[in-house]
Amino acid sequence: MRIRTLVTKEFLDLARNRAALLPVVLVTVLSLVLPFGIAVVVPAMTGRGLGDDADLVKVSAVAGIHGDLSDDGHVQLFLFQQFLMLFLLTPITGAMALAAHAIVGEKQARTLEPLLATPVTTYELLTAKVIGALAPTLAISLAGLAIYFAGILLFGAPGVIGAMASARTFVLIFLVAPAAALLSLQAAILISSRVNDARTAQQFGVLIILPLTAILVAQFTGTFWLSAWTLTLLGLGLLGLWVLLTLLSVALFERESILTRWK
Amino acid sequence: MIRATGLTRRFGTRTAVNDVSFEVARGEIVALLGPNGAGKTTTMRMLAGLIAPTSGVVTLDGVQLTRATGSAVRSRIGFLTESPGLWDRLTVRENLSVYAGLYGLADAERTIDRALEIFELTPRAGARTAELSKGTRQKVALARTLLHDPVVLLLDEPTSGLDPEVTRAVRRLLDERRAAGCAILVSTHNLDEAERLADRVAVLQERLLAIDRPAALRQRLTTGRLIVRVSGDPSRYVEAALRSAPGAEVSVDGVALAVRLANPEQQTPALVAALVAAGAPVLEVRVEIPALEDVYLHLTQQDP
Repeated sequence: MRIRTLVTKEFLDLARNRAALLPVVLVTVLSLVLPFGIAVVVPAMTGRGLGDDADLVKVSAVAGIHGDLSDDGHVQLFLFQQFLMLFLLTPITGAMALAAHAIVGEKQARTLEPLLATPVTTYELLTAKVIGALAPTLAISLAGLAIYFAGILLFGAPGVIGAMASARTFVLIFLVAPAAALLSLQAAILISSRVNDARTAQQFGVLIILPLTAILVAQFTGTFWLSAWTLTLLGLGLLGLWVLLTLLSVALFERESILTRWK
Repeated sequence: MIRATGLTRRFGTRTAVNDVSFEVARGEIVALLGPNGAGKTTTMRMLAGLIAPTSGVVTLDGVQLTRATGSAVRSRIGFLTESPGLWDRLTVRENLSVYAGLYGLADAERTIDRALEIFELTPRAGARTAELSKGTRQKVALARTLLHDPVVLLLDEPTSGLDPEVTRAVRRLLDERRAAGCAILVSTHNLDEAERLADRVAVLQERLLAIDRPAALRQRLTTGRLIVRVSGDPSRYVEAALRSAPGAEVSVDGVALAVRLANPEQQTPALVAALVAAGAPVLEVRVEIPALEDVYLHLTQQDP
């Protein structure tokens, strides 16, 4: 009940400060433009199909061979799969600003002390802050995702959209992305409760995303491919880490230090 | 209702509050006075369960404040912080609504309506708090503090920056809360307010220097001098006063005679009679009582 109240407050606050969501929207739009630029616009402008590059066709085979797809289609499928992960993760970097500001912002606005004087527990406060940053981010991501798939349907080679509808895609959208978002936003909030500057919290939070981005970039080399099963394990691992980080956040949240030492 | 026993709080090597013990009973207002840095806010925060004492015990409404009881005890406290602490982008009603939710109020909307009415905030209910004047923001903060009908009120400078009209309204409200049985601790710099509002006054300067009724505190600094105000020049009656009370110290203090008697209880009637017999038009006879400010300064400046 108290979590719901605090989340509602976060949404109300955000609704009156829509500019705070601008970074998330911008990153989402950029993430939309990039894959279509590479997979559709560049080949159309140069007149050279993706399937004309033998190396690219060879690398894209790690995404699986689909009998009904052309070489162009195979490369597009590979690229759209790769960019899907990037697309799902990058909005989190934008949302990091919201999470990083969560506790520091309350302290700076002097709203934290009356809030802490209520029966609200540390767990409730921190959970509400995570949900407050996560929900709008996921909503924007999902809206972007709809455009992404619509774009693949409209501009992709025949059969690519069908091949995208796989267990791997499902796991990425509904497990890995939310788990990564939860983990990184929780990290930002943990740091936000330990430092007195939102920028510091934001920078630490982004660090969580970096290893995932590194995995993504490594996949582009074609040396390995994260299967649906591997991604499921990764997602569950991230969720497990999030639970641990939540417990750590509650344990490390020092009401006293925040009230008496922060200026 | 509020019981602090041996409260001590140290920050590193600095002791902010040292072995402070006092009680605030149900239906009582105690004003906490002290200079800046005396430990008033730290004491308030310890009582509100926001910071833990280094040693000592806080008991509120019969429940000892611990980490385990903190959340439950805080639901019975109304704590007005030094700064109103309102969410600027939310409206007055929304600010109150969040707190109604946090306190789990059953009939939140009606309770909020009542609070808005009491504080005459109904016309501003839809205004964002960033747009409000300082006084109105303070009223919203007070409404928030009282929203859940707490049995214990901890108010840090409740009338700070308020105009006299609002200040009077706040005092009236606190009187009502006291009548309703609340235990109220008010931290203030305003001695006049402390005297008007509080049943007892506590003077804090790291340690608790004194706690008593304002009249009793003033009595501590009583000079024993009798002030006799007369019409006309008081120096004309000095000799009559000296004849009536041999050995007394008599001086002229403005438009009055100031007489220090060895035994005021026994000597005052005779003195007054002698002055009247000497033709002095006596307008007022009173024992000189120092102002609370004198007592406060005496206590705080005396303490090293």
